[in-house]
Amino acid sequence: MSVAQRVHELRRQRPRDRFLRGSLVLLAAVVIYAWFGGDVRVTELFSERRAANLARFFGHDAMPRPLRDAEGGGGFGALLQWVGQVWREKGATGVGATFAIAALSIVLAGAYGLLTAPLASRTLMRCDPYLSSEDCAWWRSVSISFRLIAVALRAVPEYMWAFLLLAVLGPTAWPAVLALAVHNAGILSRLGAETVENLPRRPLAGLRRLGASRSQIAVSALYPLGLGRYLLYFFYRFETCVREATVLGMLGVVSLGYFVVEARARDRYDELLLLILFGAILVLAADFISWLARRWLRQAK
Amino acid sequence: MRRGLVLVALLVCGLAAFLALGLGFGDLVPRPGGLKLAGEFLGAAWRPALDYQADFVPQNAPAFLSVALAALRKTLLFAAAAMSLSLLIGTPLGLLGSALVPARVRLPVRVLIALMRSVHELLWAVVLLAALGMSSLTAVIAIAIPFSGTLAKVFSELLDEAPTTAYRALRGTGATPLQAFLGGLLPVAAPDMGAYAFYRFECAVRSSAVLGFFGFPTIGYYLKRSFENLHYREVWTWLYMIVLLVLVLEWWSAHLRRRFVA
Repeated sequence: MSVAQRVHELRRQRPRDRFLRGSLVLLAAVVIYAWFGGDVRVTELFSERRAANLARFFGHDAMPRPLRDAEGGGGFGALLQWVGQVWREKGATGVGATFAIAALSIVLAGAYGLLTAPLASRTLMRCDPYLSSEDCAWWRSVSISFRLIAVALRAVPEYMWAFLLLAVLGPTAWPAVLALAVHNAGILSRLGAETVENLPRRPLAGLRRLGASRSQIAVSALYPLGLGRYLLYFFYRFETCVREATVLGMLGVVSLGYFVVEARARDRYDELLLLILFGAILVLAADFISWLARRWLRQAK
Repeated sequence: MRRGLVLVALLVCGLAAFLALGLGFGDLVPRPGGLKLAGEFLGAAWRPALDYQADFVPQNAPAFLSVALAALRKTLLFAAAAMSLSLLIGTPLGLLGSALVPARVRLPVRVLIALMRSVHELLWAVVLLAALGMSSLTAVIAIAIPFSGTLAKVFSELLDEAPTTAYRALRGTGATPLQAFLGGLLPVAAPDMGAYAFYRFECAVRSSAVLGFFGFPTIGYYLKRSFENLHYREVWTWLYMIVLLVLVLEWWSAHLRRRFVA
Protein backbone atom coordinates (compact mmCIF):
# COMPACT_ATOMS: atom_id res chain seq x y z
CA MET A 1 0.00 0.00 0.00
CA SER A 2 1.42 3.35 -1.00
CA VAL A 3 1.65 6.23 1.43
CA ALA A 4 -1.05 8.12 -0.44
CA GLN A 5 -3.39 5.15 -0.20
CA ARG A 6 -2.70 4.75 3.47
CA VAL A 7 -3.39 8.42 4.09
CA HIS A 8 -6.61 8.10 2.16
CA GLU A 9 -7.53 5.04 4.21
CA LEU A 10 -6.82 6.84 7.49
CA ARG A 11 -8.81 9.81 6.35
CA ARG A 12 -11.80 7.61 5.65
CA GLN A 13 -11.53 6.04 9.07
CA ARG A 14 -11.41 9.32 10.96
CA PRO A 15 -14.01 9.59 13.66
CA ARG A 16 -17.14 11.26 12.38
CA ASP A 17 -20.05 12.27 14.44
CA ARG A 18 -23.47 13.19 13.18
CA PHE A 19 -24.33 15.31 16.19
CA LEU A 20 -21.19 17.42 15.84
CA ARG A 21 -21.65 17.83 12.11
CA GLY A 22 -25.30 18.71 12.47
CA SER A 23 -24.46 21.22 15.21
CA LEU A 24 -21.76 22.89 13.14
CA VAL A 25 -24.02 23.13 10.08
CA LEU A 26 -26.83 24.57 12.18
CA LEU A 27 -24.54 27.11 13.87
CA ALA A 28 -23.06 28.15 10.53
CA ALA A 29 -26.53 28.55 9.08
CA VAL A 30 -27.62 30.76 12.00
CA VAL A 31 -24.48 32.91 11.62
CA ILE A 32 -24.99 33.33 7.88
CA TYR A 33 -28.64 34.16 8.39
CA ALA A 34 -27.72 36.71 11.08
CA TRP A 35 -25.36 38.58 8.75
CA PHE A 36 -27.28 38.27 5.50
CA GLY A 37 -30.89 37.87 6.60
CA GLY A 38 -31.41 41.60 7.05
CA ASP A 39 -31.29 41.73 10.86
CA VAL A 40 -27.74 43.05 11.09
CA ARG A 41 -27.08 45.53 8.32
CA VAL A 42 -23.40 46.10 7.73
CA THR A 43 -24.00 48.89 5.22
CA GLU A 44 -25.71 50.93 7.93
CA LEU A 45 -22.32 51.64 9.34
CA PHE A 46 -21.05 53.45 6.29
CA SER A 47 -23.74 56.05 5.85
CA GLU A 48 -22.64 59.67 5.67
CA ARG A 49 -24.59 60.65 8.73
CA ARG A 50 -22.74 58.06 10.75
CA ALA A 51 -19.37 59.23 9.46
CA ALA A 52 -20.23 62.78 10.51
CA ASN A 53 -21.37 61.46 13.89
CA LEU A 54 -18.11 59.62 14.34
CA ALA A 55 -16.01 62.63 13.36
CA ARG A 56 -17.88 64.86 15.78
CA PHE A 57 -17.54 62.31 18.55
CA PHE A 58 -13.80 61.89 18.31
CA GLY A 59 -13.04 65.44 17.17
CA HIS A 60 -15.01 67.18 19.84
CA ASP A 61 -17.14 65.19 22.31
CA ALA A 62 -14.51 62.67 23.32
CA MET A 63 -11.69 65.20 23.47
CA PRO A 64 -10.76 65.97 27.07
CA ARG A 65 -12.16 69.36 28.07
CA PRO A 66 -8.83 71.07 28.86
CA LEU A 67 -7.45 70.12 25.43
CA ARG A 68 -10.29 71.63 23.44
CA ASP A 69 -9.16 74.83 21.79
CA ALA A 70 -12.41 76.66 22.22
CA GLU A 71 -12.16 76.50 25.98
CA GLY A 72 -8.74 77.95 26.48
CA GLY A 73 -6.57 75.07 25.27
CA GLY A 74 -4.58 74.14 28.36
CA GLY A 75 -1.54 71.90 28.08
CA PHE A 76 -0.54 68.67 29.72
CA GLY A 77 -0.72 70.22 33.17
CA ALA A 78 -4.34 71.20 32.68
CA LEU A 79 -5.11 67.69 31.48
CA LEU A 80 -3.59 66.15 34.58
CA GLN A 81 -5.46 68.57 36.76
CA TRP A 82 -8.73 67.62 35.05
CA VAL A 83 -8.01 63.89 35.47
CA GLY A 84 -7.27 64.49 39.15
CA GLN A 85 -10.45 66.46 39.61
CA VAL A 86 -12.69 63.82 38.00
CA TRP A 87 -10.95 61.16 40.07
CA ARG A 88 -11.49 63.02 43.34
CA GLU A 89 -15.08 64.01 42.64
CA LYS A 90 -16.37 60.79 41.09
CA GLY A 91 -13.76 58.21 40.20
CA ALA A 92 -12.63 57.42 43.73
CA THR A 93 -16.16 56.94 45.07
CA GLY A 94 -17.19 54.92 42.04
CA VAL A 95 -14.15 52.67 42.02
CA GLY A 96 -14.38 52.07 45.77
CA ALA A 97 -18.09 51.24 45.65
CA THR A 98 -17.65 49.01 42.60
CA PHE A 99 -14.94 47.00 44.29
CA ALA A 100 -16.90 46.72 47.54
CA ILE A 101 -20.06 45.55 45.74
CA ALA A 102 -18.06 42.90 43.90
CA ALA A 103 -16.25 41.73 47.04
CA LEU A 104 -19.37 41.41 49.19
CA SER A 105 -21.40 39.69 46.48
CA ILE A 106 -18.74 37.15 45.60
CA VAL A 107 -18.34 36.25 49.29
CA LEU A 108 -22.10 35.70 49.58
CA ALA A 109 -22.17 33.70 46.35
CA GLY A 110 -19.15 31.69 47.45
CA ALA A 111 -20.82 30.79 50.73
CA TYR A 112 -23.96 29.59 48.96
CA GLY A 113 -21.92 27.55 46.53
CA LEU A 114 -19.89 26.01 49.33
CA LEU A 115 -23.01 25.00 51.26
CA THR A 116 -24.93 23.60 48.32
CA ALA A 117 -22.12 21.92 46.36
CA PRO A 118 -22.44 18.53 48.14
CA LEU A 119 -26.23 18.75 48.01
CA ALA A 120 -26.21 19.32 44.27
CA SER A 121 -23.63 16.62 43.52
CA ARG A 122 -24.88 13.44 41.93
CA THR A 123 -22.26 11.29 43.60
CA LEU A 124 -23.14 12.03 47.22
CA MET A 125 -26.91 12.16 46.76
CA ARG A 126 -27.48 8.44 46.31
CA CYS A 127 -28.98 5.69 48.46
CA ASP A 128 -25.57 4.45 49.40
CA PRO A 129 -23.06 7.00 48.13
CA TYR A 130 -19.79 5.75 46.65
CA LEU A 131 -20.65 2.10 47.37
CA SER A 132 -23.47 1.33 44.98
CA SER A 133 -24.61 3.19 41.90
CA GLU A 134 -28.23 2.59 42.77
CA ASP A 135 -30.44 5.67 42.60
CA CYS A 136 -33.27 6.38 44.91
CA ALA A 137 -35.99 8.89 44.34
CA TRP A 138 -35.57 11.05 47.43
CA TRP A 139 -31.84 11.66 47.29
CA ARG A 140 -32.01 12.07 43.57
CA SER A 141 -34.70 14.69 43.87
CA VAL A 142 -32.51 16.62 46.34
CA SER A 143 -29.65 16.91 43.88
CA ILE A 144 -31.95 17.63 40.97
CA SER A 145 -33.72 20.45 42.80
CA PHE A 146 -30.46 22.10 43.85
CA ARG A 147 -29.26 21.86 40.26
CA LEU A 148 -32.45 23.37 38.92
CA ILE A 149 -32.22 26.23 41.39
CA ALA A 150 -28.64 26.82 40.27
CA VAL A 151 -29.63 26.93 36.60
CA ALA A 152 -32.51 29.32 37.25
CA LEU A 153 -30.31 31.65 39.32
CA ARG A 154 -27.64 31.66 36.67
CA ALA A 155 -29.78 31.90 33.55
CA VAL A 156 -31.14 35.35 34.40
CA PRO A 157 -28.46 37.98 33.73
CA GLU A 158 -27.14 40.06 36.66
CA TYR A 159 -28.39 43.26 35.10
CA MET A 160 -31.98 41.99 35.03
CA TRP A 161 -31.80 40.70 38.60
CA ALA A 162 -30.57 44.13 39.69
CA PHE A 163 -33.31 45.87 37.73
CA LEU A 164 -36.01 43.75 39.38
CA LEU A 165 -34.51 43.92 42.88
CA LEU A 166 -34.10 47.68 42.67
CA ALA A 167 -37.86 48.09 42.36
CA VAL A 168 -38.44 46.01 45.48
CA LEU A 169 -35.61 47.16 47.73
CA GLY A 170 -35.13 50.76 46.67
CA PRO A 171 -31.90 52.56 45.84
CA THR A 172 -29.31 51.16 48.23
CA ALA A 173 -26.34 49.05 47.19
CA TRP A 174 -28.28 45.88 48.11
CA PRO A 175 -29.93 45.30 44.70
CA ALA A 176 -26.53 45.34 42.98
CA VAL A 177 -24.94 43.16 45.66
CA LEU A 178 -27.78 40.65 45.66
CA ALA A 179 -28.05 40.57 41.87
CA LEU A 180 -24.39 39.69 41.51
CA ALA A 181 -24.55 37.30 44.44
CA VAL A 182 -27.59 35.45 43.09
CA HIS A 183 -26.25 34.99 39.56
CA ASN A 184 -22.81 33.89 40.77
CA ALA A 185 -24.31 31.67 43.47
CA GLY A 186 -25.89 29.70 40.64
CA ILE A 187 -22.58 29.41 38.83
CA LEU A 188 -20.48 28.54 41.89
CA SER A 189 -23.05 26.01 43.13
CA ARG A 190 -22.79 24.15 39.87
CA LEU A 191 -19.00 24.39 39.65
CA GLY A 192 -18.79 23.25 43.26
CA ALA A 193 -21.01 20.26 42.52
CA GLU A 194 -18.78 19.35 39.59
CA THR A 195 -15.72 19.63 41.81
CA VAL A 196 -17.28 17.24 44.31
CA GLU A 197 -18.23 14.81 41.55
CA ASN A 198 -14.70 14.80 40.16
CA LEU A 199 -13.02 13.90 43.45
CA PRO A 200 -11.30 10.50 43.57
CA ARG A 201 -13.90 7.98 44.65
CA ARG A 202 -11.84 5.40 46.43
CA PRO A 203 -11.01 7.25 49.67
CA LEU A 204 -14.63 8.36 49.88
CA ALA A 205 -15.90 4.82 49.41
CA GLY A 206 -13.49 3.80 52.18
CA LEU A 207 -14.97 6.36 54.54
CA ARG A 208 -18.47 5.22 53.70
CA ARG A 209 -17.57 1.61 54.32
CA LEU A 210 -16.39 2.63 57.77
CA GLY A 211 -19.91 3.86 58.37
CA ALA A 212 -19.56 7.60 57.79
CA SER A 213 -22.77 9.51 57.16
CA ARG A 214 -23.18 11.90 54.24
CA SER A 215 -22.47 14.96 56.36
CA GLN A 216 -19.45 13.29 57.94
CA ILE A 217 -18.09 12.50 54.49
CA ALA A 218 -18.70 16.09 53.42
CA VAL A 219 -16.97 17.65 56.42
CA SER A 220 -14.06 15.26 56.71
CA ALA A 221 -13.32 14.62 53.03
CA LEU A 222 -15.26 16.57 50.40
CA TYR A 223 -14.47 20.05 51.74
CA PRO A 224 -10.80 19.48 52.51
CA LEU A 225 -10.22 17.73 49.17
CA GLY A 226 -12.26 20.04 46.99
CA LEU A 227 -11.58 23.42 48.56
CA GLY A 228 -8.46 24.21 46.53
CA ARG A 229 -10.19 23.71 43.22
CA TYR A 230 -13.28 25.56 44.41
CA LEU A 231 -11.23 28.58 45.43
CA LEU A 232 -9.70 28.70 41.95
CA TYR A 233 -13.20 28.99 40.51
CA PHE A 234 -14.08 31.50 43.18
CA PHE A 235 -11.28 33.88 42.22
CA TYR A 236 -12.03 33.44 38.56
CA ARG A 237 -15.62 34.51 39.21
CA PHE A 238 -14.39 37.42 41.33
CA GLU A 239 -12.81 38.94 38.21
CA THR A 240 -16.09 38.82 36.33
CA CYS A 241 -17.93 40.22 39.35
CA VAL A 242 -15.81 43.36 39.31
CA ARG A 243 -16.46 43.77 35.61
CA GLU A 244 -20.21 43.40 36.13
CA ALA A 245 -20.26 45.64 39.20
CA THR A 246 -18.97 48.59 37.16
CA VAL A 247 -22.05 48.29 34.98
CA LEU A 248 -24.79 47.73 37.57
CA GLY A 249 -24.41 51.33 38.70
CA MET A 250 -26.10 52.34 35.47
CA LEU A 251 -29.37 51.36 37.11
CA GLY A 252 -28.88 54.03 39.77
CA VAL A 253 -26.64 52.45 42.40
CA VAL A 254 -23.43 54.28 43.26
CA SER A 255 -20.85 52.30 41.33
CA LEU A 256 -18.84 53.59 38.38
CA GLY A 257 -21.77 52.97 36.04
CA TYR A 258 -23.84 55.56 37.91
CA PHE A 259 -21.32 58.30 37.15
CA VAL A 260 -21.05 57.07 33.56
CA VAL A 261 -24.78 57.47 33.03
CA GLU A 262 -24.72 60.82 34.77
CA ALA A 263 -21.90 62.04 32.52
CA ARG A 264 -23.87 60.90 29.50
CA ALA A 265 -26.96 62.75 30.67
CA ARG A 266 -24.89 65.95 30.85
CA ASP A 267 -23.34 65.22 27.43
CA ARG A 268 -19.89 65.06 28.95
CA TYR A 269 -18.39 62.31 26.86
CA ASP A 270 -14.79 63.17 27.74
CA GLU A 271 -15.60 62.56 31.39
CA LEU A 272 -17.54 59.42 30.48
CA LEU A 273 -14.54 57.95 28.70
CA LEU A 274 -12.22 58.82 31.56
CA LEU A 275 -14.56 57.07 34.02
CA ILE A 276 -14.62 54.00 31.77
CA LEU A 277 -10.83 54.10 31.78
CA PHE A 278 -10.85 54.13 35.61
CA GLY A 279 -13.13 51.10 35.43
CA ALA A 280 -10.81 49.31 33.03
CA ILE A 281 -7.87 49.88 35.37
CA LEU A 282 -9.91 48.54 38.29
CA VAL A 283 -10.85 45.42 36.30
CA LEU A 284 -7.22 44.83 35.34
CA ALA A 285 -6.21 45.25 38.98
CA ALA A 286 -8.84 42.70 40.01
CA ASP A 287 -7.56 40.32 37.32
CA PHE A 288 -4.10 40.72 38.80
CA ILE A 289 -5.27 40.11 42.38
CA SER A 290 -7.18 37.04 41.25
CA TRP A 291 -4.14 35.76 39.33
CA LEU A 292 -1.90 36.27 42.37
CA ALA A 293 -4.35 34.48 44.65
CA ARG A 294 -4.73 31.55 42.27
CA ARG A 295 -0.97 31.20 41.88
CA TRP A 296 -0.49 31.33 45.62
CA LEU A 297 -3.13 28.64 46.10
CA ARG A 298 -1.63 26.39 43.44
CA GLN A 299 1.78 26.58 45.04
CA ALA A 300 0.33 25.44 48.34
CA LYS A 301 -0.09 21.91 47.02
CA MET B 1 -3.26 26.07 55.97
CA ARG B 2 -3.12 28.54 53.09
CA ARG B 3 -6.70 27.72 52.20
CA GLY B 4 -7.83 28.39 55.74
CA LEU B 5 -6.05 31.73 55.66
CA VAL B 6 -7.72 32.56 52.36
CA LEU B 7 -11.15 31.73 53.78
CA VAL B 8 -10.62 33.96 56.81
CA ALA B 9 -9.26 36.76 54.62
CA LEU B 10 -12.29 36.50 52.37
CA LEU B 11 -14.70 36.77 55.27
CA VAL B 12 -12.85 39.86 56.51
CA CYS B 13 -13.00 41.36 52.99
CA GLY B 14 -16.73 40.70 52.76
CA LEU B 15 -17.32 42.33 56.13
CA ALA B 16 -15.15 45.34 55.19
CA ALA B 17 -17.10 45.72 51.95
CA PHE B 18 -20.37 45.52 53.86
CA LEU B 19 -19.26 48.33 56.16
CA ALA B 20 -17.76 50.39 53.33
CA LEU B 21 -21.02 50.34 51.41
CA GLY B 22 -22.86 51.57 54.48
CA LEU B 23 -25.33 48.73 54.24
CA GLY B 24 -27.74 47.79 56.97
CA PHE B 25 -29.92 44.75 57.25
CA GLY B 26 -32.84 47.11 57.71
CA ASP B 27 -32.53 48.07 54.04
CA LEU B 28 -33.11 44.46 53.10
CA VAL B 29 -36.71 44.70 54.24
CA PRO B 30 -38.66 45.91 51.23
CA ARG B 31 -40.34 49.29 51.51
CA PRO B 32 -44.11 49.05 52.03
CA GLY B 33 -44.70 49.63 48.32
CA GLY B 34 -41.89 47.24 47.52
CA LEU B 35 -43.43 44.45 49.54
CA LYS B 36 -46.73 44.75 47.72
CA LEU B 37 -44.89 44.87 44.43
CA ALA B 38 -42.83 41.81 45.31
CA GLY B 39 -46.01 39.91 46.25
CA GLU B 40 -47.74 40.80 43.00
CA PHE B 41 -44.63 40.07 41.01
CA LEU B 42 -44.05 36.65 42.56
CA GLY B 43 -47.74 35.86 42.34
CA ALA B 44 -47.55 36.35 38.58
CA ALA B 45 -44.85 33.71 38.26
CA TRP B 46 -47.38 30.92 37.85
CA ARG B 47 -49.24 32.66 35.08
CA PRO B 48 -46.82 33.97 32.46
CA ALA B 49 -48.64 36.06 29.88
CA LEU B 50 -49.46 34.53 26.53
CA ASP B 51 -51.24 37.67 25.40
CA TYR B 52 -50.93 41.40 26.11
CA GLN B 53 -51.70 42.25 29.68
CA ALA B 54 -52.76 45.82 28.94
CA ASP B 55 -56.46 46.63 29.04
CA PHE B 56 -56.26 48.50 25.81
CA VAL B 57 -54.34 47.09 22.87
CA PRO B 58 -54.31 48.92 19.53
CA GLN B 59 -56.22 47.02 16.90
CA ASN B 60 -53.30 46.65 14.51
CA ALA B 61 -50.79 45.54 17.16
CA PRO B 62 -49.13 42.20 16.34
CA ALA B 63 -50.03 39.26 18.57
CA PHE B 64 -48.04 39.12 21.81
CA LEU B 65 -46.54 35.76 21.02
CA SER B 66 -45.31 36.91 17.63
CA VAL B 67 -43.64 39.90 19.31
CA ALA B 68 -42.09 37.46 21.74
CA LEU B 69 -40.77 35.28 18.95
CA ALA B 70 -39.37 38.30 17.13
CA ALA B 71 -37.53 39.40 20.29
CA LEU B 72 -36.18 35.90 20.78
CA ARG B 73 -35.01 35.85 17.17
CA LYS B 74 -33.24 39.21 17.45
CA THR B 75 -31.61 38.15 20.71
CA LEU B 76 -30.25 34.98 19.13
CA LEU B 77 -29.18 36.58 15.87
CA PHE B 78 -27.34 39.49 17.54
CA ALA B 79 -25.53 36.96 19.71
CA ALA B 80 -24.68 34.76 16.72
CA ALA B 81 -23.38 37.69 14.67
CA ALA B 82 -21.35 38.99 17.62
CA MET B 83 -19.94 35.56 18.38
CA SER B 84 -18.89 34.90 14.78
CA LEU B 85 -17.16 38.28 14.67
CA SER B 86 -15.47 37.50 17.99
CA LEU B 87 -14.17 34.19 16.65
CA LEU B 88 -12.86 35.95 13.57
CA ILE B 89 -10.96 38.53 15.64
CA GLY B 90 -10.28 36.51 18.79
CA THR B 91 -8.75 33.42 17.19
CA PRO B 92 -5.83 35.18 15.42
CA LEU B 93 -5.29 37.39 18.48
CA GLY B 94 -5.23 34.25 20.63
CA LEU B 95 -2.58 32.68 18.42
CA LEU B 96 -0.50 35.86 18.46
CA GLY B 97 -0.82 36.04 22.24
CA SER B 98 0.36 32.47 22.83
CA ALA B 99 3.86 31.45 23.85
CA LEU B 100 4.53 30.19 20.29
CA VAL B 101 5.07 33.76 19.19
CA PRO B 102 8.16 35.84 20.05
CA ALA B 103 7.76 38.12 23.04
CA ARG B 104 7.97 41.37 21.11
CA VAL B 105 4.74 40.41 19.30
CA ARG B 106 3.11 38.51 22.13
CA LEU B 107 3.33 41.19 24.81
CA PRO B 108 1.71 44.05 22.87
CA VAL B 109 -1.01 41.65 21.72
CA ARG B 110 -1.66 40.63 25.32
CA VAL B 111 -1.98 44.27 26.35
CA LEU B 112 -4.50 44.81 23.55
CA ILE B 113 -6.43 41.71 24.65
CA ALA B 114 -6.51 42.96 28.24
CA LEU B 115 -7.80 46.37 27.18
CA MET B 116 -10.59 44.88 25.05
CA ARG B 117 -11.64 42.61 27.88
CA SER B 118 -11.50 45.09 30.70
CA VAL B 119 -14.40 47.23 29.47
CA HIS B 120 -17.84 45.68 29.85
CA GLU B 121 -20.00 45.22 26.75
CA LEU B 122 -22.66 47.57 28.12
CA LEU B 123 -20.06 50.32 28.51
CA TRP B 124 -18.87 49.67 24.96
CA ALA B 125 -22.52 49.99 23.96
CA VAL B 126 -22.81 53.39 25.66
CA VAL B 127 -19.68 54.65 23.90
CA LEU B 128 -20.63 53.18 20.53
CA LEU B 129 -24.17 54.55 20.76
CA ALA B 130 -22.65 58.00 21.21
CA ALA B 131 -20.09 57.53 18.45
CA LEU B 132 -22.17 55.64 15.88
CA GLY B 133 -25.79 56.02 16.90
CA MET B 134 -28.45 53.34 17.18
CA SER B 135 -28.00 50.45 14.77
CA SER B 136 -28.08 46.69 14.97
CA LEU B 137 -24.39 46.69 14.19
CA THR B 138 -23.71 48.86 17.25
CA ALA B 139 -25.01 46.08 19.46
CA VAL B 140 -23.02 43.43 17.60
CA ILE B 141 -19.75 45.38 17.84
CA ALA B 142 -20.36 46.25 21.50
CA ILE B 143 -20.58 42.54 22.35
CA ALA B 144 -17.83 41.51 19.94
CA ILE B 145 -15.07 43.72 21.37
CA PRO B 146 -14.89 42.29 24.91
CA PHE B 147 -15.84 38.80 23.72
CA SER B 148 -12.96 38.80 21.20
CA GLY B 149 -10.63 39.75 24.02
CA THR B 150 -11.90 36.99 26.30
CA LEU B 151 -11.75 34.36 23.53
CA ALA B 152 -8.22 35.47 22.65
CA LYS B 153 -7.10 35.24 26.27
CA VAL B 154 -8.54 31.80 26.86
CA PHE B 155 -7.44 30.47 23.47
CA SER B 156 -3.86 31.56 24.08
CA GLU B 157 -3.93 29.92 27.53
CA LEU B 158 -5.36 26.69 26.09
CA LEU B 159 -2.67 26.63 23.40
CA ASP B 160 0.02 27.22 26.02
CA GLU B 161 -1.29 24.44 28.25
CA ALA B 162 -1.90 21.86 25.49
CA PRO B 163 0.55 18.93 25.52
CA THR B 164 3.31 19.62 23.00
CA THR B 165 4.40 16.03 22.32
CA ALA B 166 2.87 15.84 18.85
CA TYR B 167 4.10 19.33 18.00
CA ARG B 168 7.69 18.52 18.96
CA ALA B 169 7.57 15.18 17.13
CA LEU B 170 6.47 16.90 13.92
CA ARG B 171 9.15 19.57 14.33
CA GLY B 172 11.70 16.81 14.81
CA THR B 173 10.74 15.20 11.50
CA GLY B 174 11.32 18.45 9.66
CA ALA B 175 7.94 20.15 9.64
CA THR B 176 7.96 23.95 9.61
CA PRO B 177 6.62 25.64 12.75
CA LEU B 178 3.38 26.47 10.94
CA GLN B 179 2.90 22.88 9.72
CA ALA B 180 3.68 21.49 13.15
CA PHE B 181 1.23 23.94 14.71
CA LEU B 182 -1.56 23.07 12.29
CA GLY B 183 -0.96 19.32 12.49
CA GLY B 184 0.29 18.83 16.02
CA LEU B 185 -0.95 21.55 18.33
CA LEU B 186 -4.19 23.00 17.00
CA PRO B 187 -5.98 19.61 16.78
CA VAL B 188 -4.98 18.90 20.40
CA ALA B 189 -6.37 22.18 21.70
CA ALA B 190 -9.35 22.43 19.34
CA PRO B 191 -11.98 20.50 21.36
CA ASP B 192 -11.40 22.66 24.44
CA MET B 193 -11.37 25.81 22.33
CA GLY B 194 -14.63 24.80 20.68
CA ALA B 195 -16.27 23.98 23.99
CA TYR B 196 -15.23 27.32 25.44
CA ALA B 197 -16.46 29.21 22.37
CA PHE B 198 -19.83 27.49 22.73
CA TYR B 199 -20.03 28.48 26.38
CA ARG B 200 -19.28 32.07 25.40
CA PHE B 201 -22.14 31.89 22.92
CA GLU B 202 -24.44 31.27 25.87
CA CYS B 203 -22.94 34.38 27.54
CA ALA B 204 -23.41 36.34 24.31
CA VAL B 205 -27.09 35.44 24.30
CA ARG B 206 -27.45 36.83 27.83
CA SER B 207 -25.55 40.00 26.90
CA SER B 208 -27.62 40.42 23.78
CA ALA B 209 -30.79 40.13 25.86
CA VAL B 210 -29.54 42.75 28.33
CA LEU B 211 -28.59 45.20 25.55
CA GLY B 212 -32.32 45.58 25.05
CA PHE B 213 -32.26 47.86 28.11
CA PHE B 214 -30.47 50.37 25.90
CA GLY B 215 -33.14 50.32 23.23
CA PHE B 216 -32.04 47.46 20.99
CA PRO B 217 -34.97 45.21 20.01
CA THR B 218 -33.93 42.22 22.12
CA ILE B 219 -35.64 40.59 25.11
CA GLY B 220 -34.33 43.17 27.60
CA TYR B 221 -36.19 45.97 25.82
CA TYR B 222 -39.55 44.26 26.26
CA LEU B 223 -38.79 43.07 29.76
CA LYS B 224 -38.02 46.61 30.87
CA ARG B 225 -41.12 47.98 29.20
CA SER B 226 -43.41 45.32 30.62
CA PHE B 227 -42.00 45.85 34.12
CA GLU B 228 -42.37 49.62 33.93
CA ASN B 229 -45.99 49.17 32.85
CA LEU B 230 -46.48 46.84 35.85
CA HIS B 231 -47.34 43.95 33.52
CA TYR B 232 -45.68 41.34 35.69
CA ARG B 233 -47.11 38.33 33.89
CA GLU B 234 -45.46 39.57 30.72
CA VAL B 235 -42.18 40.01 32.62
CA TRP B 236 -42.34 36.37 33.61
CA THR B 237 -42.86 35.37 29.99
CA TRP B 238 -39.60 37.14 29.13
CA LEU B 239 -37.77 35.63 32.09
CA TYR B 240 -38.94 32.13 31.22
CA MET B 241 -37.86 32.67 27.64
CA ILE B 242 -34.32 33.52 28.70
CA VAL B 243 -34.14 30.58 31.09
CA LEU B 244 -35.44 28.24 28.41
CA LEU B 245 -32.97 29.57 25.85
CA VAL B 246 -30.08 29.08 28.26
CA LEU B 247 -31.30 25.59 29.19
CA VAL B 248 -31.44 24.53 25.53
CA LEU B 249 -27.98 25.92 24.84
CA GLU B 250 -26.64 24.24 27.93
CA TRP B 251 -28.13 20.87 26.99
CA TRP B 252 -26.62 21.25 23.56
CA SER B 253 -23.17 22.19 24.81
CA ALA B 254 -23.20 19.40 27.39
CA HIS B 255 -23.88 16.88 24.63
CA LEU B 256 -21.10 18.24 22.46
CA ARG B 257 -18.71 18.33 25.38
CA ARG B 258 -19.42 14.77 26.44
CA ARG B 259 -18.39 13.57 23.01
CA PHE B 260 -15.33 15.64 22.33
CA VAL B 261 -13.73 16.79 25.51
CA ALA B 262 -12.25 13.91 27.40
